[in-house]
Amino acid sequence: MNTNSNTYTFIYASVLVVLVAAVLAFVAGSLKTKQQSNIDTEKRLHILQSAHLATEAAKASNKNDYVASQFEQYITRSYVVDYRGEITDGNAFDIEMKQQYELLKHKLKQELRLPVFECTLDDGTLLYVVPCYGLGLWGPIWGYVALKDDCNTIYGVVFDHKGETPGLGSQIATEKYARQFVGKQIFDKDKFVSVSVVKGGARPNDLHAVDAISGGTITSNALQDLLFMSLEAYVPFFEIKTKQ
Amino acid sequence: MENIINIFIKSIFIDNMIFAFFLGMCSYLAVSKTVKTATGLGIAILFVLLVTLPINYLLNKYILSAGALVWLSPQYASVDLSFLSFIMFIAVIASITQVVEMVIERFLPSLYTALGIFLPLIAVHCAIMGGSLFMQERGYATIGEATSFALGSGIGWFLAVVAIAAIREKLTYSHIPAPLRGLGISFIITGLMGLAFMSFMGISL
Amino acid sequence: MFKKIFLAPLFKGNPITVLTLGICSALAVTVKLEPAMVMAASVTLVTGFASLIMSILRNTIPNRIRIIVQLVVIAALVIVVDQVLKAYAYDASKQLSIFVGLIITNCLIMGRIEAYALGNKPIPSLIDGLANGLGFGIVLTVVAFVRELIGSGTLFDIPVIPHSWYVANGGFYENNGLFILPPMALIVIGLVIWVQRSISKELIEKQ
Repeated sequence: MNTNSNTYTFIYASVLVVLVAAVLAFVAGSLKTKQQSNIDTEKRLHILQSAHLATEAAKASNKNDYVASQFEQYITRSYVVDYRGEITDGNAFDIEMKQQYELLKHKLKQELRLPVFECTLDDGTLLYVVPCYGLGLWGPIWGYVALKDDCNTIYGVVFDHKGETPGLGSQIATEKYARQFVGKQIFDKDKFVSVSVVKGGARPNDLHAVDAISGGTITSNALQDLLFMSLEAYVPFFEIKTKQ
Repeated sequence: MENIINIFIKSIFIDNMIFAFFLGMCSYLAVSKTVKTATGLGIAILFVLLVTLPINYLLNKYILSAGALVWLSPQYASVDLSFLSFIMFIAVIASITQVVEMVIERFLPSLYTALGIFLPLIAVHCAIMGGSLFMQERGYATIGEATSFALGSGIGWFLAVVAIAAIREKLTYSHIPAPLRGLGISFIITGLMGLAFMSFMGISL
Repeated sequence: MFKKIFLAPLFKGNPITVLTLGICSALAVTVKLEPAMVMAASVTLVTGFASLIMSILRNTIPNRIRIIVQLVVIAALVIVVDQVLKAYAYDASKQLSIFVGLIITNCLIMGRIEAYALGNKPIPSLIDGLANGLGFGIVLTVVAFVRELIGSGTLFDIPVIPHSWYVANGGFYENNGLFILPPMALIVIGLVIWVQRSISKELIEKQ
């Protein structure tokens, strides 16, 4: 057979494309739910970790199930608030923080949809877990901040990143770094100050500052900026909650 | 606008395709024996990056990414074809290089003789594919940003390959331990150049 | 005969250090052992199966679209690997990010198809592909081992340097952060080549 004729080449290419497309569509389709549940699990785990929960996740035999059940147990309520801090409709879990970040950056406050997760600990303590998002040195940095019910004191934080420099900037994702934030306050009396990340080390007993990462100055600055920007958007909501 | 310039500078010096991500190392090592061939390949890469990246950007934005088909009809909002992106990108790159080759051959014969032998190689060049994948991964917002990234990465690659070629030409006159000759020393020099380029890190405009 | 096909690429015909194929997409993932080994396994599988498929198809492919057919087959295999990683090894796939996609343009795969699979029977082609993938994986693993051990003081994320050795705990040791930076991958591989060529002198390049 002449494998170089036009007809043959054309038929060959068509058959190949159809075959490959079919195989790929099948593979992608059958793995879709599994992939989505991995993504959801990671998000749930981050929310729980900011409140120092789900500590056994790495050891759990079925991580997805374990995280889902912990999430069910501790995250008692979740809702979406607008820029005035009032609850509006929407599913908190499905909100993409990247979009909210773009809105904040372009000062389109009216369109903001900000998720809030209420977490109830075993002893009945109520925590508000809110997300933060911004750009680091190489790519996005995101995380969750768990605040006590005074909407001021930080109970815990968790950060993650796409590609900060390994060993330097990437340390923001470690538990050791996150521990620094515990007990810090985001309001100075009634004024919103967020938590600053100080190069060369924060003064001891400074309630509004933590140490920067040595060798990770840009990541640290980015972290400070994104914390300020993300938490500031929630200030109206915090004010409503504290007046109640 | 400031964003576009920022991406441009960053992709030349900080996110340099060779020194930060090692993309295109094979051809980089193969052609960097003389400055002349290195220049030829460098320009070819720059050119193909500049053509393929905007096309792949549009492809990604209007066809491949999740919910991208909404412009056809709102009922396609849940369609996510991103699993096809590798194959689409490589198909675009392979066909564009073919077209570019034919166009240059027809209209710019002198450029064709200079670049000719490199163009078929570029279809499977990591830096080109990497450019498209980074564009998708980093989610550049506009076609302007994507194009400026393409231009910056292309220039970055060009600079790197010409610089190492110049060093390797000089290297002919030095006494290198025999087992390190050729490939080994090229790797080490590239590493040292990469360390030098790292001092650009943290620049932002 | 199979034994020879299998053993050659592991040392004397190693794709990275001798043939200089497939360096591009590989070195950026050598900061830690785990992603490096996932990468090595992915490349091995793709190389093996791409060689196998192309060898089966070798007499039917129209010459004019040969390269495109190869690319389509490789890209399809890589997409399958990427999807499986996202489903079953989510953390590793996050670390590898775009470098899974870059397996497509790994010259090693194309190189083995052109040089071997298109002229040989399917089974030897499969073995040749897998062995070259493994040869590639060995270098990746060695580089990652050195970089993780010296750079982070861990192996597979498990600390191996005694805790009390660190300066922070009153010891004398500090991790060498230099090894985490991308350029050190190149320098380490340069040193690997030095060692290999000192052992087998016939690989030394002529002046």
